[in-house]
Amino acid sequence: MTDYFGFNYDKNNKHHRMIRQALLIVVSLYGFVLLWWIVSLLANSVAIPTPLETWDEFVRLLRDGDVTNYGASVWGYVGSSMTTFLEGFAVAFVIAVPLGLLLGYSKDLRDLTAPAIEVLRPIAPIAWAPILILSIDYVVGPVLVVAIGIFFPLLTNTIFGVQKIDRNLTDAAKTLGAKPYQIFYKVMVPSALPYVMNGVKVGLGVGWMCIIAAELYAPSLGGIGNFLSEQAFMGYWPSVYAALILIAAMGLITTGLAEYVHKIITRRMGME
Amino acid sequence: MSGEISIKGLSKVYRTDDSETVAIKDFNLEIKEGELIAIVGPSGCGKTTLLRCIAGLEEVTAGVISSGSKVFSEPGPDRGMVFQDFALFPWRTVRKNIEFGLEIAGMPKEQRKEKSDKYLALMGLTAFADAQVHELSGGMKQRVSIARALITHPDIILMDEPFGALDAQTRNIMQMELVKLLDKTDQTIVFITHSVDEAVFLADRIVVLTKRPAEIKEIVEVPWPRPRDRASPEFTALRKRILTELENENTLV
Repeated sequence: MTDYFGFNYDKNNKHHRMIRQALLIVVSLYGFVLLWWIVSLLANSVAIPTPLETWDEFVRLLRDGDVTNYGASVWGYVGSSMTTFLEGFAVAFVIAVPLGLLLGYSKDLRDLTAPAIEVLRPIAPIAWAPILILSIDYVVGPVLVVAIGIFFPLLTNTIFGVQKIDRNLTDAAKTLGAKPYQIFYKVMVPSALPYVMNGVKVGLGVGWMCIIAAELYAPSLGGIGNFLSEQAFMGYWPSVYAALILIAAMGLITTGLAEYVHKIITRRMGME
Repeated sequence: MSGEISIKGLSKVYRTDDSETVAIKDFNLEIKEGELIAIVGPSGCGKTTLLRCIAGLEEVTAGVISSGSKVFSEPGPDRGMVFQDFALFPWRTVRKNIEFGLEIAGMPKEQRKEKSDKYLALMGLTAFADAQVHELSGGMKQRVSIARALITHPDIILMDEPFGALDAQTRNIMQMELVKLLDKTDQTIVFITHSVDEAVFLADRIVVLTKRPAEIKEIVEVPWPRPRDRASPEFTALRKRILTELENENTLV
């Protein structure tokens, strides 16, 4: 029991914890908005609209659409970005996870690929954006940029997950008659799963950094990143910030989803 | 059934770049079918290595471990193993853990369920069939692990300090349960333990090992029927004798 201004907080009480969590979110966001407001007043610049101006513009944008583009719906922009993002994620996932499982399993393959991976990994994924978009095309290019961004954290986490496997578990499987391929998919894959999900969580964050930058090179794709940069060029600052709200919301939705799946898996395995 | 084990000239040497550790040296032992052999020895003497060699989990440096005409060079479902830290699959329920060996062997689902029902009941786990492993106590976990090893009917069961991670009370209960279980099966059991008390309580024969490299110091026959009375004078006398022998081994460093 901790006394907070006369309120007895009991951390073992589920309702108390929920109230605490809700209060923290409210206070944190409130503080952020307050800070933003102060900065915008002090700066007194059109480039930093107040939170209220931004909110009004956000509501107007959802209602009237993009007035600089014949009232095109912002949901179209959001949909385009989301599509690019999910496609990039899918590409990264189907390559990084099997490859990570394989590299985690075989030390020879790991040692063989490590030098190449270590050379490529530090390259900022965004550096690939002009290359891939101009050399392939403006649809596939951004997808690949996102895929590259998600690929490395997902790969390294998956490899790590396989290497972290409790040797007793593979030994137990062997004594129960499991063949190497059965050990692989009945022991290694499920036991690496929480680490894969961790890679997904990290990867999603990197992916959102990549997509907005990639869209700057692909204006015809009509994603939210392109909308943001066009509004900035035209000096419609409240719109720029409204776009940021949409980007933040999309990021929250995908990471929230991954967080949820990760929680289910780790809880089931008693890893909390 | 072919539960006898013959260990001839077994040596196990661990080599690294600049050192060599001889864990077991020229080890010979014949284990009869249906026997319960306890292996005791000073810490780090190579007991576990010996068991892992029988399981086929370690490659032997020299010598042959066999049963009849079959040489044990790889792990196989003819030798079940129970680990000290249970080694249960945390993403599987209790039932799915127990069924693992059957699943590997490709047994259809209905048959698996029938068998796991039987072993769940045998180990007193029926109420926990759908529980996740982390919800169980240590004693319960080890029951799951034993059921998982028994269900495929291995001729030989290898137990590596199976009750070592349990508290004293649970340990005694598990020993009693193992005694009851032994009456129902004719499997050979090789049991590694730290506890001389446990060895005297359970084993037909106790193999006392020297410090590393492991050699046989003595093999003690325990002729009394089970369950045994820990308080009886013979029991305490035998326990004391083996303990003294082990202490001598430990102080000879």
